[in-house]
Amino acid sequence: MKRIDIAYVIDDDPIFVFGIKKVMKLIDFCDRIMIFKNGQEALHNLKAIISEEKELPDVILLDLNMPVLDGWQFLEEFIKINIPCNRNVIIYVVSSSVDPEDVLRAKSYEGVSDYIVKPISVEKLKEVLNDFENAF
Amino acid sequence: MKLKKNVDVNLILDDSDHYLKEELYDLIKQDSSIFEFLQEASFDGLWFWDLDNPENEWMNPKFWTTLGYDPDKMPHKASAWQDIIFKEDLKQVYANFAKHSENPSYPYDQIVRYHHKLGHTVWIRCRGIILRDELGTPRKMLGAHMDITKIKIAEKELHKQINYFEHIISGTDLGTWQWNIQTGEAIFNERWAEIIGYSLSELEPISIETWMKYSHPDDLEKSNKLLQKHFSGEIAVYDCEARMKHKNGEWVWVLDKGKVVSWDHEGKPLWMVGSHQEITKNKKDFERNKLFIEQTPSAIAMFDNDMRYEAASQKWFEVCGINDTEVVGKSHYEILAGISKKWRSNCQKCLKGEHIENYEERIKGKDGNVQWLSWELRPWFYEENKIGGLIIHVSDITNIKKEKELKSLLKVTEDQNKRLKNFAHIVSHNLKSHSGNFEMLLDLYIQENPEIEDDEMIQLFKTASQNLSDTISHLNEVVLINTSLDKNLVSMNLRQVIDEVTRSVSAITLESEVIINNRVDEEVNVLAIPAYLDSIILNFITNGIKYRSEERNSFITLSATKNSNYVILCIEDNGLGIDLVKHQSKLFGMYKTFHPNIKNSRGIGLFITKNQVEAIGGKIETQSVVNQGTMFKIHMKYEKN
Repeated sequence: MKRIDIAYVIDDDPIFVFGIKKVMKLIDFCDRIMIFKNGQEALHNLKAIISEEKELPDVILLDLNMPVLDGWQFLEEFIKINIPCNRNVIIYVVSSSVDPEDVLRAKSYEGVSDYIVKPISVEKLKEVLNDFENAF
Repeated sequence: MKLKKNVDVNLILDDSDHYLKEELYDLIKQDSSIFEFLQEASFDGLWFWDLDNPENEWMNPKFWTTLGYDPDKMPHKASAWQDIIFKEDLKQVYANFAKHSENPSYPYDQIVRYHHKLGHTVWIRCRGIILRDELGTPRKMLGAHMDITKIKIAEKELHKQINYFEHIISGTDLGTWQWNIQTGEAIFNERWAEIIGYSLSELEPISIETWMKYSHPDDLEKSNKLLQKHFSGEIAVYDCEARMKHKNGEWVWVLDKGKVVSWDHEGKPLWMVGSHQEITKNKKDFERNKLFIEQTPSAIAMFDNDMRYEAASQKWFEVCGINDTEVVGKSHYEILAGISKKWRSNCQKCLKGEHIENYEERIKGKDGNVQWLSWELRPWFYEENKIGGLIIHVSDITNIKKEKELKSLLKVTEDQNKRLKNFAHIVSHNLKSHSGNFEMLLDLYIQENPEIEDDEMIQLFKTASQNLSDTISHLNEVVLINTSLDKNLVSMNLRQVIDEVTRSVSAITLESEVIINNRVDEEVNVLAIPAYLDSIILNFITNGIKYRSEERNSFITLSATKNSNYVILCIEDNGLGIDLVKHQSKLFGMYKTFHPNIKNSRGIGLFITKNQVEAIGGKIETQSVVNQGTMFKIHMKYEKN
């Protein structure tokens, strides 16, 4: 059983970020949480980490509707990054959109593990955690 | 020397026994002044020739004066006249003389020309007889001149004219006819027959019957009417276009014209002359033009300078509301009595050469209907810039206008739809994330402070939050129903879909003891979006279960029929029913519920169902009786071959 070390939350909504942080702490989701206000910030960080050969996140919770670089654009850019082959970054799209088109489109990306409709509850995050732990 | 009595019988009238004649003959013998008078008054020249001494010839004074010469200065020599006669005629004179001299019965009678002293030609009829002795030998010759110059000139003139007319007739290809109206006798020229493919000899015997035989009965009737008008003096010239049967079986058109030229003593017409001109080609061209105008798919009419109709299209009569289409020759103002002053003045302006048009004019009819017309007035010209009249072209653009209005409405609808989608997007993303945050925060707060979960206020908070989330999710569902294009629709087997839905709700049907009858034929397919069709059927079935009557055994029956446009799925239950008089208008409205005692009645199902049905191009009809049951008829498109 593997524990989530680093989790990224990419979301511009401070209330959601506040809540998710609380839920993560509550269920002891991971060791470290990193928050990014949009896709651009997260991408910038990831590129730096890779070039400095630092530790990559295990899980990314990605919002779709964001300023600067939205969730879709982030996914497009993320594909182009050369992730070291021994690392696996699992992405969860977390959005309030229930449009089936959005769901299908998100799942069409290989790195996207699931699509979670907001609001995210304690139970839902526990499921994510279980899935991760069982996968390894 | 004696005149031989038997010389030339032609010269002596054969009424020999009249006493006056005998007396005159005696007088001439006795009194030379009688002969003087005769030779002076009855002839234009007298000559007496000595054939034994041919240079000697006596000519009377009239002989010379006729030819312009002074008799006193002219010698009594044959050479005198031989010098002034036309040389070629002199040869003829000698020849005739020779024949007459040989054979007394051959008449010496010829027409010769002389050069008048003033240079012009004098035509002379010259007759003579040879006087012979007992042995028959020619001794003397007596001759007389008659000046026929005037007759000759007239004859020449006449000949010229005949030639002229013959040229005209043959040059213009005119058939000619003469008709004795009283006897029916008729004379045609060769061309008359040729026009209808015959020769004159083929048509014999020729009479007015020939014309009647070959002309078209309708035209013959018209021709007879016109003839009567001409006879009565009503029309100066008879003029009629008529068809005649050609030898090849086809009808040819002739322009038949004529005039009475003589009348009998009672003043009745006697002879009539006229012509036939073949106008088949003109007529066909004209007919074609007429057809063209009549059948032109737009309203068009042609007028002369007095606004009389020259031609008009069928469409013209429709647009103008003219019932009597025999308008040619009639005034437009007469036909359309109610025509406005503005139009009259427009027409007048146009006849002066102005081109007037209006591409959009709103006209309110007497019946209150609004008509949109686009019209144009143009003068038409003949020769050089001479205005022959005007052409009016009108189109009824009411439909186009309506279409334009519809299009602009459509544009408004599209804009509104866009705004609605925008709004939907706000609902979907922003509102939902706010309510989601609300829910999440409340959830967390309770997690962190489990002791407050039973607090009434918090409970109400939770309900309110839940309701808000539900409402937003319903709105979302509605927003997501896209009116799909036909290409998104797939053909689905209705019976199978119903069976699957029934299976998925089997738990509730068992519990509620509702029997579901699927009576849809196996081969019925409808065009739908699969998820929508599932949802539609699921909704109606769960509704039927939800609103069943507890007083009786409940059932839901599904059946299907097909018409030319739709498959009609009929879903019938024996449940509580809906008071349609009260609720028809809001039956499919959002958050409309009609049964306050039924739990979970959210008023969203029918609303979404209706939207889904419409999204796949269908419609719903409802029949319901309170406490007896409800029947929904869902019309859905199907695949046609």
